Parts: sequence; C-alpha cells; structure tokens
Amino acid sequence: MRWRRMAGVYRQYWRINILTTLEYRENFVVWFAFTFVYHGSSIAALWIVLSRFPSMNGWSFRDMAFLYALWMVAHALHNTLFSTVGEVPDHIRNGEFDRLLVRPLDTLFQAIATPGQVFPDELVLAIVTFVAATIYAGVHVDAMFLTFIPLIFIGGALIDLGINLIISTAAFWFVKVDALRWIFVQLEQEFTRYPVTIYTRGVRFVLTFVFPFAFMNYFPARYFLHKGMSGLGLPPVAGLLTPAIGIVFVALAYVFWRFGLNRYQGVGH
Amino acid sequence: MTGAVEPRRRPRFRLEPYVEFARTAMAREATYRFDVFTTIGSFVVRVYLLRMVWTALYAHNAAPHELSRRAIITYSAVALLMGIVMDIDQTRALKDKLHDGSIATDFLKPIIVPFYFFADGTGEVLFHAVLLIPATLIALLIFHIIVPGPGVLAAFALSFLLGYLVGFFLNFILNCSAFWTLEISAVQLIVTWLTDLFGGELIPLILFPAFLQNFIYALPFAAMFSTPLLIYVGVIPPSRYFEVMGLQLVWIVGLAIVSTLMWRAGSRRIVVQGG
Repeated sequence: MRWRRMAGVYRQYWRINILTTLEYRENFVVWFAFTFVYHGSSIAALWIVLSRFPSMNGWSFRDMAFLYALWMVAHALHNTLFSTVGEVPDHIRNGEFDRLLVRPLDTLFQAIATPGQVFPDELVLAIVTFVAATIYAGVHVDAMFLTFIPLIFIGGALIDLGINLIISTAAFWFVKVDALRWIFVQLEQEFTRYPVTIYTRGVRFVLTFVFPFAFMNYFPARYFLHKGMSGLGLPPVAGLLTPAIGIVFVALAYVFWRFGLNRYQGVGH
Repeated sequence: MTGAVEPRRRPRFRLEPYVEFARTAMAREATYRFDVFTTIGSFVVRVYLLRMVWTALYAHNAAPHELSRRAIITYSAVALLMGIVMDIDQTRALKDKLHDGSIATDFLKPIIVPFYFFADGTGEVLFHAVLLIPATLIALLIFHIIVPGPGVLAAFALSFLLGYLVGFFLNFILNCSAFWTLEISAVQLIVTWLTDLFGGELIPLILFPAFLQNFIYALPFAAMFSTPLLIYVGVIPPSRYFEVMGLQLVWIVGLAIVSTLMWRAGSRRIVVQGG
C-alpha cells in the first residue's frame, strides 16, 4: 500500500517535471547547450592533451574517452534521478523542509520527489557518448558487458547520491553548504578524469576507500579495457564491484542522514 | 561664462563615491569568511592534481622543447593564481539589479552608473586579490614554482592587468545582455568553460594542435590568460612584449567600444513597471 502510494507520487513528480520543461522551452535549450559544451570541452581538453602526449601511464585518448563516458553516464543518471537531494539545504534554509517532516511519507523520498525542472536530457547525451566511446575504444561487447554495464551505472549513480546526501545532511548543522558542495563537484569531476595510477598513494586510497569515485569509472574501465596496472593491488575483477560499493556507500550515507534528521531542530522560522 | 543650467543627465565626475563603492564591496565580500578557506583549499588541491597529471605525462612521453616539466607546473600554478581574481563575475550586480528592478533607482542617483559597476567589481576583485598572498606563498613553498627576474615579473604584472581589463569588459558585455534576455547564467557558464580551455588556463595554447591555434588567437580569451602566462614562463621573449601587449590593448579598446554601445542601447530600453 505504502509502495503504491509512493509510486503514484513519483509518477506525478515526473509529470510535473516534464510539463515544466515543456513550458520553459527556451530555458531548456540554453541549459542543454550548457551541458553539451560542459562535456564537450572536457573531452576536447583530453583530446588536446593526448594529441601532444599520446600516453597517460599507458592510457591512450581512446581509453580516456571510455573512462570519461563511464563517469558521464553514472553522473548523469544521478543528476536525473537524485539531483533534488542537493536542494535540501535550500529547503532547510527557507523553512520549507519542515513541511516534509509532518507528511506521512518517508522524508528522503519526498526530498527526492520534489518537482523542479528535471529532464533526462543529460542522460540521453551521456548514453549516446558512451555508445560512441565504447565503439571508438574497441571494447569487446558481450553478454557479460551488457549485464554488468547497467549495474555499474546504477552503482556509480549511488556513489554520487551518497556524496550528495552526506553534503545535504551537513546542512542540518551548518545551514550553508554551497561552498562544500562546489568543492566536491569540482574535485569529483577533475579526479575522475584520469586513471588513478597517476596519483600518489594517499590520493588513490581516498578515491578508492573514502570517497569511492574510482569505482564509478576507473576500476570498471580497467576491467573492460584489460589494463594490467593495478591501483592499490586490487585485482581487475574489483571493477565489477561497483554496484555493491554503491549500495554500501549510500547505506552509510543514509545512516548519517537519519542521524542528522533525528537531531534536526529547524532553523527558527 | 558658465551656463546657468548644467545638463542634468551628466553628473560631474568625482572619484570619492566610487572609492567608497569599492570599499563597501570589499567589506561585503569579507563577510563570506568560509569562502576564503574553500578558495585556498581548492587552489592547493588543483595545483596538486595538475602536478600529478603533468608529471605522469612528462614521464611517459617526449617533453615539448618549449616547456620543461617544472615550467609547465609553474604555468598551471600561476594560471590558477590568476583565476582567483579573473574568474569572478564582477559585474553580476548589473544582472541582479536588472532582475529585481532596482537598477531604476541607480539611474536617479548622481553617479555614472557603469562606473558604479566597475567600482563595485573592483572592490570585490581587490578582496580576492588579498587571497593571492597566502596562495602565492603556498605555490612558492610547497610547489616550488619558478620565479623569473624582476623585468619579466614587471612585464607579467602589466600584461596581467591588461588581461584583467579584457576579462572585465567581456564580463560586462555578458551581463549587459540581461537587458534583452534574462536567462544568461547558462550562457555565462558556457563562456567560462570556453575561457578556461581557449584562454590557455588549463593547457598552454602552444601545446594545441596547429590548426586550432589560428582559430584560438582570433578569440579574445588568449589575451586574458595565455599572454601573461607565456610571458611569465619565458615562452614569449622580451622582444615580443610590445607586440603581444599591443594586441591585448586592441582587445580592450574593441571590447570597451562594444560595452559602451550595448550599455547605451540597453539603458534606453529600461521600462519601469510599477514597483
């Protein structure tokens, strides 16, 4: 019964999103152009660097394009399904968050299903890029690949959700967390762009075990591209662990969220 | 003999109000203390990242003869230092005031409105310029960037100032477009990414493929970052200073003319609806 009600709310959420997008069409076009230039200039920068320096610790531009596309789909999947979690600090600040607390549905679910102007355009762009990158990098597509890749995307999106949720939870104490979020967005985007073998041991450790961004793209890419060099002595099969890592990480973030929620007292409206 | 009636629309220029605007802007910025830590923190992490990236690239490939590994790390560190003051949306007050309509009252004040935006932006930039001191110390002590001789440093400082003005007018033109369309945040972000890439902030332009170089030098972005940076690392020799800074000056004059025209056309469009 509860699940059916949530499904109903979630359907309405998407209906409102799509209607809003259709209403503000020019706005949509401009932001899509932004998304396009954002990813386009990132890939262009990789291409420019690798046209002058053909090898990055044994990774060519083709490998790097696949690495980027893996991250891009997981990240876009997160942005499409869970970006609303990032608006929780705003809701806390202006007092709207308190409304969610008195309604008879899970608070986090309501935060996720707060309508805005979400549209799966970035996800579509990411999937197209991924298909192109897979062909370009010459990755062997078999049943194994087709089974694991969607799971890896979901796992990667969950890792992103975990980070997003942790930062939003911090807003229960600090109210204004924009700068913190900005730093994480920047660092994730820059540190996932290169194979982790170029980093120092400490950075590799953080990207693997603390904020497991390396599982969004590096470890899966290493597995599918058959790159021998290991990061932190993990075997290549570790690349298939992304879904499990995603679930564990998001579960830890959820525990932190519940902890913060139980202590939340409102900001005094 | 002076006329009895001074034209009302052109107030006589006095410097003091603008100095005061700049001071107010500095004080306003200083209230966001947490941003100080994030600015410095993200500077350190990004230089650290770029050092690892260039080190890996130089270890596995033939190094370009123009730039040694240490020179390119210096280049990246100085580019990020410049970014601390260059990447500021100085004249966003113009866009904000157009959105909420408060620009109408600014026109009634005895000030030259564009100068107000320049003063406000300069104050904000000067506050961030203070952050350059700790950031530069970090770059020197932790990352051991190369420090050129005093002559080159002076040329770099001058070229940096010219680059700043190119950036200012480009920013002003973008914010001026809010006179016609209100959705300009996305356009501004697009221009920011293009500046990062084609201005040489991320990758020195001399490492770009040859066919792209012709196209890049036809854009104003190179005058913002690339010219001062290449002076700093010595790729542009003193014999070419006159030529490259002259080009920067041409961009400043050109963009200033466009800014003036846009401001005139835009400010005539202002229609105050109630409020």
